Amino acid sequence: MKGDTVRTRQRNTLLLLLAPVTLILAAFFMVPLGIVVVYSFLEPGLYGGVEWTWYPFNYGRILGWPLNDYEEFDPIYLLIFLNSLKFALLTVLFSLLICYPAAFWVSRMRAGRKGLVLFLITLPFFTSFLIRIYAWLLLLRPTGFINTTLQTAGLIAEPLDMLFSGFAVVLGMVYIFTPFMFLPIYANVEKLDHSLIRASQDLGANPVQTFLRVILPLTAPGIAAGSVIVFIPALGNFIVPSFLGGSKVQMTGNVIERSFLQSRDWPFGAALALLVMASVVLVLMVHAVRSGRSRDRVVA
Amino acid sequence: MRGRRTPLRRVWSALFNGYGLLFLAFLYLPLGLIVVYSFNANPINMAVWTGFTLDWYATIFRGASVEGNFDAAFTESPERIFAVVRNSFAVALLAAGLSTVIGTATALALARFRFVGRRFYQALLLLPMLVPDIVLGIALLIFFVGAGIELGLLTIVIGHVTFLSSYVFVVVSARLAGMDTTLEQASADLGAGPITTFRRITLPQIMPGVVGGFLLAFIISLDDVVITYFIAGVGSQTLPLFVLAMMRRGLRPQITALAVLILLFSFAVASIGLFLRSRKP
Amino acid sequence: MTGRLFRIAGAVSVLVLAGHMAAAEGKLNLYNWGDYINPELIDAFGKEYGVEVTLDTYSTNEEMLARIQAGAAGYDLVWPSVHMHDIMQQLGMLQPANPNQMPGWENIDPAALRSKEDPTGDFCMPYAWGAVGILYNKTLIPELTSWDQFFAYAAANPGKVTMLDDLRETLGVGLIMTGASVNSRDADEIAKAEAFVLAQKPNIGAFRYDVIPLVTAGDVAAGHYYVGAVLNVLQNPDLLGFVIPSEGATMYQEDICLLADAPNVGNAKLFMQFMMRPGNAARNAERLTNGSVNMAAIELLPEALKTDPSINPSPEVRAKLQIFEDMGKDLRLYTRAWDRIKAN
Repeated sequence: MKGDTVRTRQRNTLLLLLAPVTLILAAFFMVPLGIVVVYSFLEPGLYGGVEWTWYPFNYGRILGWPLNDYEEFDPIYLLIFLNSLKFALLTVLFSLLICYPAAFWVSRMRAGRKGLVLFLITLPFFTSFLIRIYAWLLLLRPTGFINTTLQTAGLIAEPLDMLFSGFAVVLGMVYIFTPFMFLPIYANVEKLDHSLIRASQDLGANPVQTFLRVILPLTAPGIAAGSVIVFIPALGNFIVPSFLGGSKVQMTGNVIERSFLQSRDWPFGAALALLVMASVVLVLMVHAVRSGRSRDRVVA
Repeated sequence: MRGRRTPLRRVWSALFNGYGLLFLAFLYLPLGLIVVYSFNANPINMAVWTGFTLDWYATIFRGASVEGNFDAAFTESPERIFAVVRNSFAVALLAAGLSTVIGTATALALARFRFVGRRFYQALLLLPMLVPDIVLGIALLIFFVGAGIELGLLTIVIGHVTFLSSYVFVVVSARLAGMDTTLEQASADLGAGPITTFRRITLPQIMPGVVGGFLLAFIISLDDVVITYFIAGVGSQTLPLFVLAMMRRGLRPQITALAVLILLFSFAVASIGLFLRSRKP
Repeated sequence: MTGRLFRIAGAVSVLVLAGHMAAAEGKLNLYNWGDYINPELIDAFGKEYGVEVTLDTYSTNEEMLARIQAGAAGYDLVWPSVHMHDIMQQLGMLQPANPNQMPGWENIDPAALRSKEDPTGDFCMPYAWGAVGILYNKTLIPELTSWDQFFAYAAANPGKVTMLDDLRETLGVGLIMTGASVNSRDADEIAKAEAFVLAQKPNIGAFRYDVIPLVTAGDVAAGHYYVGAVLNVLQNPDLLGFVIPSEGATMYQEDICLLADAPNVGNAKLFMQFMMRPGNAARNAERLTNGSVNMAAIELLPEALKTDPSINPSPEVRAKLQIFEDMGKDLRLYTRAWDRIKAN
């Protein structure tokens, strides 16, 4: 339009580009989360839903506050939350141990093969993850594939008790989150400056020293990113503990789901959900601060 | 470094390759089992092999034979399966399409303009990916209930678009970051308006990223369980919800056949994505 | 080319979604438990009346209630358990379908009218009932008769039994074993039941619903399960067995109810009438292998089902079956107890 400055036109373009995401996130993300916060302070309705009265006891319940005269102080929800933390951290740890060497393996390949192997690694994750979890059930059960094979091979006499345990839950979660851990580490490894490694070797460091002092710190950002990306969904997961843990292993996600779909206690579920979110935000802030600090260090 | 095949280097290579094979075996063992069991004739206990059959695949399209209730106990009708698959695909297409548009627009905005709230938007866009999906599912359920919005396929689409836009944003942003802006500047200098520049110059260059983002969003939407679980409504059961309900009652072999078919489909989709991504602009 | 492809795909999606949202004649939307109706009957009804029937499923009463409350509109008929029927009627979520004025009502067993809110069958039609007992693998346990035996076996073989992942069912077993009613509101009694289950927990392999494959394969020897498993027992009588334990057990009954905002009231009533026909009720009972509330239908059942002690228990056994009532606010006692069981 005549008389329109470039800046105005640019500003209009910018607004047009940002409008959709702003609307969507404001309406269907920020507002719902706000409602969750509000609900966590309300009283549960008798048959689901909420009563609009101020009710701070949901948070108290998380901390263990007794429900009535009959109960004593009982921090089971904190216990369950700590349990969830434990399983999430174990998942991160084992997923890291499995994916780290694999990233190096792929990185060492020739370009053509590399693409193919990357494709093979990501392909399984295009199937329904529910079916993959069920496949682990079929693998781990007493009459399942692993036990039958080991028994036929004569390696064990009695079937191993692998299913419905913490082991199965961690295994299941590690399996599902493998690409989330693998890809960030791999991206980092790909960008490794091999001259630094060579320099370390030339200076007489043995392989262990080179690994600990050079490779590990250089891949730290990838490790951190992968860990965060695995930790977050692992913490809130409820499907894996339900199927592979035989529901004997309880994570906070299970309690949240039950609160909404069985116990008719929506505000409590909301409070727990916020607890999970708060931990996630905390982890993210720590990650942001540390990666910011390491960036400063590099610059300095 | 690569040329020198000293014995030590060969040992390392062997170790790495051995590990790599174990890694791939770990990834594919469950899948292989599913594929094998989808051909197992045993309807009661998948782990006991009683014979090879293509029946389970046939029943997906044909429907169970009408010999009494026995077969019906182990298969779902093709109509039901088809309805569920159709729902999933419709939702995934629409959600992926919308979130691709939104995510790309946002990526362009943040990459090409400097403005006050830029950092804020970058953080905001990462949030939906980082919120645990159970929290998001509940939040959306409460919101839709409170706002009186009827639950159904549309609410699922809305829910998916909310977090899928972030994924597309990340993919397209990465592509934009590595892009050479000289052509864009040249186009502007030659007097082309922003829309023309976008259509003729920018879009073709970021197209692999856009398509990659679309495919990623499509696959995630297709497989989403938790969020859909909370906000699905009447007649809007998607495939993952269907499988979840089945798993509660004991998986049927027919579902493993369906899973294999979907795997083949994803294989095709992923191949297309890979092919497009490998093409240099 | 890709542009055109996108546009076509987009148009298809919109059409599919639009098709869902448009109201149509000749439709019926059912919301039922999973595996709780013979699919052949749905087909037969659809063909006879030219109605397009959809079926969605839920796995717990609470889930159904939560979804309907959350505004899952569009369903016509739901299958609540009796206590949930009472709740929904109190909340005004149902409308009277008047099954008591439909032909065939005289076949419905009067004892099946258990609803406190609806004792004369103005609103809902009794559908089916069953006991919740134990499914067991005969090669591992030749004969199982009681909860005592079940838990003793578990103590000797930890991890080889399962219980339902349902707070009322499993705490219900605890209440039965400690001599209380499954509808107890007494905190002490519930605490004792909780202690009982907790004591058994190390020996229980898992809390799950999908136990039939596990018991059949022998992964577990016995699983707490619904009488619907008798279908599998009849197909495999040498391998599987089902029993209502001698100490007592819980029972369930569902009614078919018409939702207050049902869009297809006419078709819904036709469906209820259809299900009340003895022939159809019998076909349904054959498939579900649980108790029928339709006396004429029971007569039409094959001998195997008519005489099965789990499907058609003797009066002595029936006296030991307890059905759930709604707990109202006191449900919190149960959920706390259940959460404690799960956490430890």
